[in-house]
Amino acid sequence: MEDNIDVEAGENQFQPYLDALRKELEHQDPIFIIGIIISLAVVVISFVLLKYFLSSKTVQSAVLLVGLCDSGKTLLFSRLLSGKFKKTQTSITDSSAPYKAKNEKGSSWTLIDLPGHDSLRPQYVEKFKSAARAIVFVVDSAIFQKEVRDVAEFLYFLLTDSAVSRNVPSLIVACNKQDITMAKSAKLIQQQLEKEMNTLRVTRSAALGTQDGSAGSSVHLGKKGKDFEFSQLPMKVEFLECSARGSKGENGQADIGSLEKSLANL
Amino acid sequence: MLDFFTIFSKGGIVLWCFQGTGVTESFTGPVNALIRSVILQERSGNNSYSHDALSLKYKLDNEFELVFVVGFQKILTLTYVDKFIDDVQLHFRDRYKNELEQKGALALLNSHFAFEDDFKMLLREAEESSKARGPTSMRSFNASLKSQKTVKSMIETKGGDKGKEQGGKKNKNAKKEGKAITTREKAKASTSAQKTEENGNQGLTQEEIIQKKREEFIRKRMGAPVEKPSKSPKPVKEKPKGKEKRVWTLGGSSTKELDYSQSNGNGAHAAGDQGLDAQADPGDLLAVDYESILFKMFLSPKKGAFGGMFGMLKGLVGSKSLSQEDMEPVLDKMRDHLIAKNVAAEIASQLCDSVAKKLEGKVMGTFTTVASTVKGALQDSLVQILQPKRRVDILRDVLEARSQRRPFVITFCGVNGVGKSTNLAKISFWLIENGFTVLIAACDTFRAGAVEQLRTHQRRLNSLHPPQDHGGRPIVQLYEKGYGKDAAGIAMEAIAYARNQAFDVVLVDTAGRMQDNTPLMTALAKLIAVNMPDLVLFVGEALVGNEAVDQLVKFNQALADHSMSDKPRLIDGIVLTKFDTIDDKVGAAISMTYITGQPIVFVGTGQTYNDLRSLNARAVVGALMKA
Repeated sequence: MEDNIDVEAGENQFQPYLDALRKELEHQDPIFIIGIIISLAVVVISFVLLKYFLSSKTVQSAVLLVGLCDSGKTLLFSRLLSGKFKKTQTSITDSSAPYKAKNEKGSSWTLIDLPGHDSLRPQYVEKFKSAARAIVFVVDSAIFQKEVRDVAEFLYFLLTDSAVSRNVPSLIVACNKQDITMAKSAKLIQQQLEKEMNTLRVTRSAALGTQDGSAGSSVHLGKKGKDFEFSQLPMKVEFLECSARGSKGENGQADIGSLEKSLANL
Repeated sequence: MLDFFTIFSKGGIVLWCFQGTGVTESFTGPVNALIRSVILQERSGNNSYSHDALSLKYKLDNEFELVFVVGFQKILTLTYVDKFIDDVQLHFRDRYKNELEQKGALALLNSHFAFEDDFKMLLREAEESSKARGPTSMRSFNASLKSQKTVKSMIETKGGDKGKEQGGKKNKNAKKEGKAITTREKAKASTSAQKTEENGNQGLTQEEIIQKKREEFIRKRMGAPVEKPSKSPKPVKEKPKGKEKRVWTLGGSSTKELDYSQSNGNGAHAAGDQGLDAQADPGDLLAVDYESILFKMFLSPKKGAFGGMFGMLKGLVGSKSLSQEDMEPVLDKMRDHLIAKNVAAEIASQLCDSVAKKLEGKVMGTFTTVASTVKGALQDSLVQILQPKRRVDILRDVLEARSQRRPFVITFCGVNGVGKSTNLAKISFWLIENGFTVLIAACDTFRAGAVEQLRTHQRRLNSLHPPQDHGGRPIVQLYEKGYGKDAAGIAMEAIAYARNQAFDVVLVDTAGRMQDNTPLMTALAKLIAVNMPDLVLFVGEALVGNEAVDQLVKFNQALADHSMSDKPRLIDGIVLTKFDTIDDKVGAAISMTYITGQPIVFVGTGQTYNDLRSLNARAVVGALMKA
């Protein structure tokens, strides 16, 4: 009996509060209630949209200009964007700007110029590799013979990177500095690179592991047992010639027609 | 008088440049050299650099990502350059604020910076201000401070000895008075009288003072026949009051206070406590955010507590630029943290200065604290230092040498006991695993048992890879000529033998030597200069601390001094040994790569043949920055 009384007392304790709340709600304008519901919905929708926008940053919308130091990336960047010739120094940070491709659609994406210096290269590639939809690899055709091993190593490092092999961005190898008379042709550069990458496949896989136990990437380029060729790669590879400086010196036009065409086809 | 002045963005685009009259060479080369050796190697602590005959000074503007560089001839000493760069920077920023503030490089590419007139005006002002101060003429005695000083202020002690000296001078005057009275003497008398007036005998008149002194003099002459007080112009020394007992603040006066046995348990715990203490201190690193917030909140009494809190919130949310004072406490903590992790002390301070230069004036984003920005920048700099500045692929280079029909020569040098012979054996194991034939040259002709040690390694390696597998020829051979011979000669013969027998690699083992031992350093330099190896590896142990700096500097110096050519062979790479003995105190890697600029090619992690690794920069920096 007493329990029942207690329970009833408990219920009666809350009862007036509930009644009061119900009365309050009924008193208020229904619009008020609708207002509360709408604001809650807006908050939820904005959360969802925010998540969507944040994640959409990883959508590939950038074209990277990479290459060794002094290969002409920054000048090429300037020519592509504004057509002007600018004196350049060694870049210490990346530069990015929106670029309007010269095709009918007029699609525009971001062009990013990464520094080529050996100590900065890995961390900048690391930062931007997942956002790349195409990579323009700039090669200095005039001193290519001396640098062939460094060029090949960088290209190998790019191609065996896990993010790159997953996203498969198209690769354009731009053989720059064609205005110099000793410049090698794109075909020759392609052959030399293929030979070099062949050797690198062997030496890189035999390289020592790192001190914390993590081994290098396990991506194998090309087909096992056969000589390496760029056509064996899963991504589209294109070799073309260009000259950022142009044959008429500083005030002339740059010779980058083929590069602009390839960029338009992306 | 300036050779050139450039303003370029950190992305590499030159915004404006000026070339002095009569200067024909382009400045791109020197500026690139400046960027590569100073800014990229994190030596931007001091802001000047010399390249050939040019001296370059630079300034970084971190808010708009610009670099200002001025170059002039090294022989000229221009005093106005530092202030001039600052003025130009401020002027340029104010004038082109709009273009510079826009994000993205398009604004920089499209705008034309017509800075000529402003620059010329600033240059003229700077030159005039330096010329305005003509040559300073010497001051006359009357204008100097000394003539204003009273004699009394120059007297140090109670006045006894100085008084004696005065008395001595007076005595001389008194003596001369007797002989001849000249105006000069009168003048002297009057000046000395002046002095004695100031001396404190103020109540007496001049004559009375003279009288008094005369009497004193006569008295002394009677009493002490030989006295030459005027001969002692020595400064008066305080007679020591007797030795005082030294009081040690922490020592206490009785031995009971030095007995720590109760407070710490036993001695074994004390070491552990010390270790914990050392770890607790870097653990405080996380508290720096707390501290900087507390700093702003409570220690700004000018704004009042409420205002202080708003300031803290503003600091978190709004955009504010970093100043030297903001970064000071964080950088000090980071410096101590690095030193605790076995980075050499001067390198840690140089690194922190360089990071401060890189971040000064930078605008922080929202919700970032000073500590996180500084830590991030320091982490980037450390990774940048550890990244090799050239391609490191020994196997590829050996293949290249093989195609040129010559052996690839690697020389190992270092101080005593770092692990040269052990790591040489490990490297030869790795090479023979990849199918190369190796010749070991025993150029350690001093240490007892060095040749036998290498012979044991050779036998073991040959048993692991028996000659039957390689066409009947042993894959590892030892070239030795016993003890006591000249190491450079043995090395030369070994390389010739390798070329004749078509070996792929020659590994030259040298004797360990201290960097201060000049004859041994000369001998090593001669070995390297004469034989021109493809790779000179310095073997250093990871346990070394500040010594690493001294070792590497002296080794490089010796190699540079004793080489005949103008392009001396210096250390090309570093082998970091005994890496398994340090847990995360990996600072020696940073010290060594910072000092030489050369990459760490191998890391030795044990005593067996498999314990050879390559360096992973990110992992090392992670271990270094871990609290």
